[in-house]
Amino acid sequence: MDFGFTEEQERLRKKVREFFQEELPEDYDWGGGAETAEEGQAFMRELQKKTAKQGYLTSGWPKEYDGMGLGYVEQGIVDEEFGYAGISWPSQLGLHLAAPAVFLFGTEEQKKKFIPPLARGEAVWFEAFTEPEAGSDEANQQTRAVQDGDYFILNGQKTFISGIYKPDFLYTLARTADTVPKHRGISLFLIPADLPGITYRALPSMGGGTQNDIFFDNVKVHKEYLLGELNRGFYHAMATFEFERTGTAFPGRVKRGLEEFIQFCKEEKRNGKPLIEDPEVRKLLAEMAVEAEIWKLMAWKAVWWFGNREELGPMPFDLSGMCNKQLTTAQSEKMSKILGIYGQLRQGSKWAKHEGRVERGWRSTRSLHAAGTLEIYKYVIARRGLGLPRIPAKLNAVIAQALDEKK
Amino acid sequence: MDYLLSEEQEKLKETACQFLEKECPETVIRETREEDQGYSPQLWSKIADLKWLGLVFPEKYEGTDRSLLDLAVLYEEMGRVIFPSPHLSTVVLCGLTILSAGSEEQKAELLPRIAKGDLILALALAEPESSWDGNAWDAQGITVQAAADGDHYVINGTKLFVHDAHVADYVLCAARTKDSGQPEHGITLFLVDTKSPGVECTLLNTTAYDKPGEVVFNQVEVPKENIVGEVNKGWGPLARVLQIGAVMLCAQMVGSSQKALELAVDHAKTRIQFDMPIGINQYIQGHCIDVLWYTETSRWLTYQAAWKLSEELPCDMEVAMAKAWTSEAHEKACWHAHQVLAGVGYTSQKGVMTLYSMKGKTLQHYLGDTSFHLNKVAHEVEKWTAPEKPRGKPLGYWDIPAEEQIPAWEPWQELRKGKKTW
Ligand SMILES: Cc1cc2nc3c(=O)[nH]c(=O)nc-3n(C[C@H](O)[C@H](O)[C@H](O)COP(=O)(O)OP(=O)(O)OC[C@H]3O[C@@H](n4cnc5c(N)ncnc54)[C@H](O)[C@@H]3O)c2cc1C
Repeated sequence: MDFGFTEEQERLRKKVREFFQEELPEDYDWGGGAETAEEGQAFMRELQKKTAKQGYLTSGWPKEYDGMGLGYVEQGIVDEEFGYAGISWPSQLGLHLAAPAVFLFGTEEQKKKFIPPLARGEAVWFEAFTEPEAGSDEANQQTRAVQDGDYFILNGQKTFISGIYKPDFLYTLARTADTVPKHRGISLFLIPADLPGITYRALPSMGGGTQNDIFFDNVKVHKEYLLGELNRGFYHAMATFEFERTGTAFPGRVKRGLEEFIQFCKEEKRNGKPLIEDPEVRKLLAEMAVEAEIWKLMAWKAVWWFGNREELGPMPFDLSGMCNKQLTTAQSEKMSKILGIYGQLRQGSKWAKHEGRVERGWRSTRSLHAAGTLEIYKYVIARRGLGLPRIPAKLNAVIAQALDEKK
Repeated sequence: MDYLLSEEQEKLKETACQFLEKECPETVIRETREEDQGYSPQLWSKIADLKWLGLVFPEKYEGTDRSLLDLAVLYEEMGRVIFPSPHLSTVVLCGLTILSAGSEEQKAELLPRIAKGDLILALALAEPESSWDGNAWDAQGITVQAAADGDHYVINGTKLFVHDAHVADYVLCAARTKDSGQPEHGITLFLVDTKSPGVECTLLNTTAYDKPGEVVFNQVEVPKENIVGEVNKGWGPLARVLQIGAVMLCAQMVGSSQKALELAVDHAKTRIQFDMPIGINQYIQGHCIDVLWYTETSRWLTYQAAWKLSEELPCDMEVAMAKAWTSEAHEKACWHAHQVLAGVGYTSQKGVMTLYSMKGKTLQHYLGDTSFHLNKVAHEVEKWTAPEKPRGKPLGYWDIPAEEQIPAWEPWQELRKGKKTW
């Protein structure tokens, strides 16, 4: 057992940190929201490209695909530094989800087509999986892809799709066959985002809107955009979910947030004394530090298993995802508790403390559903990790039939 | 980075697991706790044969020179079966203090006897006042006085929660020999023969039926050669050993939570209610996952702290975090397991669940509970410096009015035209 990093790894960390130190503007709003304004978006896209030039954007990718060919631990370090710097890349989902899927299931042509623009930091991807009737139950895809010669014709709607930049590609699921069980008739597609028949509608949300509805109306997708095997898309998607659910960036960001908040508690006074001298505040800060540490450890453990895993798929004992879901909530609630009544003042209010970050953070942690809900993570751990029984498929069929009859 | 046990550690874990499961079933735990001694001398000599008593001592003192991380692996297994023994008192709290602060004669005389299982020691540290004030495990909590008198010292006062004092040959008593401004300065460690006139030990009755003692020192004379380390400078070595002890308690709790997990999951799979295994219900699954969550999070905090101790890296923060979290987490893990086991987990004549959760009360408080260690974490966190600010050119983010902070992309611009905000 060894929780340390080699000197070389520490050097890499230092270099990456130094790079962002120099590149990010001094008023960078690391807590999120920097990219909502037009200037911010332009800046982030440029930074993404610059970072790609350094290789850091794709540190774990093979060299022949413009990566640095580094190991999992090194990639974990680079990711932790992205997080610590407060960056979330415009093409986050392309880099962390679509690209690994293309590496795993793509043809040589697909790799040549999709990987280089990502590696250069140019292409923006959305992950368009969720539908009004297919949220947690991803297999219930209603979007249809009907084969027509060399093309598939797509019809349907996606919802809650994260994305604030104009997308270049969509990574999406659609039903290609009516099968029982449902998940055996679904396929994965990589779709140019501007094909005729695709429309977008922004969905504001309480955390500062980043979701969209996407509508497919007779969208003609060439069959070369089918990823992996026809009708095996659900399996491919499941196999790659671990890429979306794990990572060291999130705990890195949380650590940064806590450091800044502690600095604020040292500087801000209440009853003539710095906040940090208040025993109740100290206790909450200490608890947050412990949680941040747990989070970091579980994320690193996931990175470790990731590098040593024997099979693809959501890791049955991955509690780092649960940390992400559970602890963000806990942290923002504790910070808000420390600010008391001031905790409700938004950024921009002249009385807001700590630049209103706590308020914004609290709002955004009311939603942790992206990449699957907490309950679904637990569901996976219960069944795959602990081997607890599941409701038999037969019973599900009985319930489904009863529901049908009611209609 | 490596999240696996080494081959040697795996082997130690496996042997320990096999030995303990065979030698320490529920019946043995129950029998030993009925008896006055509170541990089994036969088992004590068996673990001496397995070299567990000299595990972390150097070879020249009949030890096997293994690391503190190895010791944590062993403690996890001992916790998994609630192994009743004075190991922590003898080997860790007293043995390691002697190893780090004792004179060469003391080490040569005492450590091999410990390793062979011939000597039992107990640490007398906490006191009635300090236990109530929350600084039982800090230097300022020590008020028991030892005064020099010719070639010996005279100790007066009361120590509480002295585990294994009633069976110990010596207690290692931390006493105040000087009142200076700094509480850490002025503490001296005395090896007191428990048969000395004026030493009196009464057992305390606890939740776990384990047997910490109240030890009263009434004009107890201790020869100067029984001082461990330097006069007035006992706190330094003791403080480190207390950290090691705290981490070993964590490891014990991790093992205990692990057992609670096994019990809960097993029960969830086999107990039938409403014609189904109860584990099909998500409430029950949730309880099992919570046990897993508390066990795993505690495990990695504990291993990290043990690793840092082994490598002699600075780790005040990591140790405090591990004990703060694990103390609480173990109780929660047991609580969730109780929810799954319901009646069979509560009745006390049969089944081990009650034993685990009751034992937890002792482990939770011993060597510092959650608030004690959270205080230490706060103390460390206070030293954090502000993160370095980026150095690039300012973009004027803060000057952009909130209503302008809408992305350039069309669907979002349309939203603004409709004057909708979020
Ligand atoms: C901020 C945000 C960003 C998102 N980004 C994306 C994105 O980029 N791409 C994308 O495809 N999707 C995205 N989503 C959608 C997200 O994946 C879904 O919201 C999520 O999977 C839950 O689906 P649902 O909202 O339809 O809830 P439902 O599936 O309707 O669930 C409702 C509740 O029931 C619970 N539940 C459902 N099934 C079970 C079960 N078997 N056992 C126990 N509880 C159950 C859920 O946990 C939840 O509490 C995003 C969502 C949010 C909020």
